[in-house]
Amino acid sequence: MISNSRLSNITAPVQHPTTALQIDQLKLSIQGQPILHEISLSLPTSGITALIGPSGAGKSSLLHCINLLQQAWQGEITLHQKSIRQWPGGDEKLRRHIGLVAQKPTVFPTTIYRNVVFGIDGFWQRRNAHAIAEQALRQAALWGEVKDRLHAPAASLSLGQQQRLCLARALAIKPKLLLLDEPTASLDPKSKQLIEQALSQLASHIPLLLVSHNLEQAQRLGEQVIFMCEGKVIEQADCDTFFNHPQRVESKEFLRWAVCECD
Amino acid sequence: MKWTIHPAKLLLTLVALPALLIPALALGYIVYQGGAVISWQFISTSAELSGFGASSGVFSQLAGSLLLAVGACIVATPVALGTALFYQLSNNSRLCHHLELLIYLLQAVPPIVYGLFGLILFVQIFSLGVSLIAGMLVLAMVLLPMLTLNNITSLQRIAIEQTDAARALGLTESALVLRVWLRQSRRELITGQLLAIARALSETAPILFTATVFSGVVWPDSLLSPVTTLQTHIFYLAQEGNHPQSIDVAWGSALVLVITIVLFSLLARALKPSGGNL
Repeated sequence: MISNSRLSNITAPVQHPTTALQIDQLKLSIQGQPILHEISLSLPTSGITALIGPSGAGKSSLLHCINLLQQAWQGEITLHQKSIRQWPGGDEKLRRHIGLVAQKPTVFPTTIYRNVVFGIDGFWQRRNAHAIAEQALRQAALWGEVKDRLHAPAASLSLGQQQRLCLARALAIKPKLLLLDEPTASLDPKSKQLIEQALSQLASHIPLLLVSHNLEQAQRLGEQVIFMCEGKVIEQADCDTFFNHPQRVESKEFLRWAVCECD
Repeated sequence: MKWTIHPAKLLLTLVALPALLIPALALGYIVYQGGAVISWQFISTSAELSGFGASSGVFSQLAGSLLLAVGACIVATPVALGTALFYQLSNNSRLCHHLELLIYLLQAVPPIVYGLFGLILFVQIFSLGVSLIAGMLVLAMVLLPMLTLNNITSLQRIAIEQTDAARALGLTESALVLRVWLRQSRRELITGQLLAIARALSETAPILFTATVFSGVVWPDSLLSPVTTLQTHIFYLAQEGNHPQSIDVAWGSALVLVITIVLFSLLARALKPSGGNL
C-alpha cells in the first residue's frame, strides 16, 4: 500500500499541443467518502492512453465522471475545449460524443443489428443506419462473423463477440472520444487479440482512454500512460518513459509489484 | 431403494401440510357443491329479474365482475406505472423512501375502508351514485399499492448495466424508459396486471356500497349505472335469498368466481418470465 504522504505531490499533466480531453482539479466524493482527489490530466486528439493503477484507485469512477454517468464531481472537464457541464443539448448530447465500453459485455435483449444501431439518432443517421452498422462492425472486427446473421439474437454470440458488439455499438454513434473500462478483462486470448487489433486501428482516428489491469497490454497498446492510486493521478508520461524510467517512487513500486506478481 | 425419513423434513412437512390441506379442502368443497349446479346454461344466461334466487344463470354477474376488475385495472395501471417509473428515475432519493412508506401504508388499509371512502367521495361528493365507474375507481384505489409495488419490482429486475449502457449511448430519459425499461419488463408488467385483475375479482367490500345493487340489474346501461357482480351475488344469495334454490345458486356462483380467478392467475403464471417470482 502506498502511503498518503507519498501521494501528496502530484505530477503535473503533460501538455499536448492538440488536446482532446482536459481534466483540471477534478474532485469526487460519494456519501462523504472521497473517491477522486484533484485529478488533472489531458488526452491527445488520437492514440491510446492507458489508465492503470491498483483496484480501488478510482479509474472507473473517473470514466463515469467524463461521460457524466457520475455527476457529483467538482472541477473542470473539457472536451475539444468545450466544458462538458455546458455541453450544447445537455448530458445526452455529450454522451453521443463519448463512447463507453464496460468491462462486462452488456448487450440488449434484441438482435445483433438492433444492438449496433441502438444509439443511432437523427434523421440522416437513421437513413444510413445499415451502412453505419456495417462500418462499426468492421471497425470492431466482427463483421465477418455476423454479416449473415445480423437478425439473430445478440445473446447467441460468444462473450468475446458480445464485447466486440458493444464496441461496435459505441462506435456507431461516431464518438469523439472512446472510454474503455477493462474491455478484455474476462475474454479469451483470441477475443482479446481481436479487440486489441481493433483498438489499435481506431486509435489513429480518435483518442482512446483504456483502463487496464494488464500492464503488458497497457505497454503494448498505450502511447501514453496515466498511473492512478488512491484517487490521485501519480504520473502521466509517454509509455516508454513510464515503463522504463518511471519518475515517481509510487510508480516504481507499482511496476515492481506487478512484475513480482507476474512472476 | 431404501427410504429414509429425516426428522427435520418430517416436522416441516407436518407444519406445511395444513397450509396446503385447508385451502385444498375448501376448494374441493366448492367444486363438490358448485359442480352440481354449474352448466353452460348457468354461465351463459342471466337470471330473471323477478324472484331473487329462484332462477339460476350468472352471465350478467360474471360480466359485471369482469367489467369492474378490468376497468379498475385500466384506471390503476397508468398511475401505478407512472409512480413506479418516477421511483426508478429518482432512485435512492429521500422522496423515494417516503413514497415507498406511503405505498406500504396504503396497502395495509382494509378494503372496506376504501369502500367507505369511495362511498363518500365518489358516490356522494362527486355525485356518481352507486355505479360501475364509482366501483372501478374504488377498486383501482385498492389495486394501486399492489400494482405499484409489482411495477417497481419489475423495473428493478432490469440489470443496472443495461441502464448504464443505454445512458452511455446518449439515450434520453424517455427513450430509456420506452426502449429499455418498459420493453424489458413488459412481460412482468402484464403478469402484474393479470394478478391485479385476479385480486380485484376477489374483492367484495369496496364494491358493496359503491357499485352493486341487490337485484334488478342485468346489464349496466352506462358507466353511471349500477352493476351486479359474482362476489356480491354470492353475498346477497347467502344473506337474503329466501328461495330454497338460493344456496345452490350461491355455490355455483362461487365455483364460477373461483374458476375465473384461477384462470387469470394461471395466465399470469404462464406469462411470467423465467426466473421471476409471483
